Amino acid sequence: MFWKGFRAIMPLYLGIIPFALAYAVTARAAGLGILETQALSVLVFAGASQFSAAPLLGAGVNGFAIVLTTFLLNVRHLLYGISIARVLPNMTLRQRIFGAYFLTDEAFGTFIASGVKDYRFFFGACISLFVSWNAFTLVGALASSLVPDPVALGVDLVFPLSFLALLIPILKTRIEWLVAGFSSLAAFLLVPRLPSGLGILVVGVLGSLLGAWLTKDEPVQTQVSLEDAAREVA
Amino acid sequence: MNFWLTVLGMLAVTFGSRLAGMLLTTPLPPFWVRFVRFVPIAVFAALIIPSLEGTRGEGLPRVIGAVLCGVLAWRTKQLWIGLFAGMLGFWIMRNLPLM
Repeated sequence: MFWKGFRAIMPLYLGIIPFALAYAVTARAAGLGILETQALSVLVFAGASQFSAAPLLGAGVNGFAIVLTTFLLNVRHLLYGISIARVLPNMTLRQRIFGAYFLTDEAFGTFIASGVKDYRFFFGACISLFVSWNAFTLVGALASSLVPDPVALGVDLVFPLSFLALLIPILKTRIEWLVAGFSSLAAFLLVPRLPSGLGILVVGVLGSLLGAWLTKDEPVQTQVSLEDAAREVA
Repeated sequence: MNFWLTVLGMLAVTFGSRLAGMLLTTPLPPFWVRFVRFVPIAVFAALIIPSLEGTRGEGLPRVIGAVLCGVLAWRTKQLWIGLFAGMLGFWIMRNLPLM
């Protein structure tokens, strides 16, 4: 099950590999050493934050501003954590801590879209991303002069396309389509006008509130807890 | 030393955001159970739309790639088919002389 999750991320390597390389090149060009470049990928493990922080760290900009930007870019993971804790209510404390450390948009999306309610699948997806991101950070840090610009190649499109390909199959009811449409429109209007990261959180909360409100007459979904009960009995 | 202090701060806010939700063990009230069900839908829509146009004036080929990706993901429910078809469509469209 771990390897099933691990393999489920692999199509995304098409975007992850060039971006890990590009991040490393950006960081090295900004004056960070190989150790510092790699440390960000191991310890922070957040693509967009690493990209925005690397030039600032190299220039010795006030650390507080960098930490605040990083927080805004990543605060949406709070919502992912709640969602995973709801799908996998029987996780041990250790699993919660390790799962949280390696949690990303891609691992969360792949896990939710798969419909597999198994921690090992989720963790396999997490590790698949961590290993590829770090391996190619190292390659990029060592061979920084040979790496082409991923934006010029257009491989940055891999990320919205993969989220789209994960999103479409989970849209089943009319209300789910409606929430997706509303959130898209809200993102189009709000995200460019708010600090990066914050807009995604605001739209995420607004869209989810709309969904919860539109489904207020539906019976409470008990599918997850029933399956867990069945597993415990077995 | 300032570098490592800043990295420690970045680690604290990323890991903190990731961990806070994962630690939730108390059952949620029904409204928030339904809220959580819509989180992936709303957040993914918010991640897709602003990054679709790109920064290089290739909005049209990128949107065509996205439509292709969406249709194939809908028909096949396979991430890799949607993703590869979308990227292929985008690369073909951006290299057509009329675009």
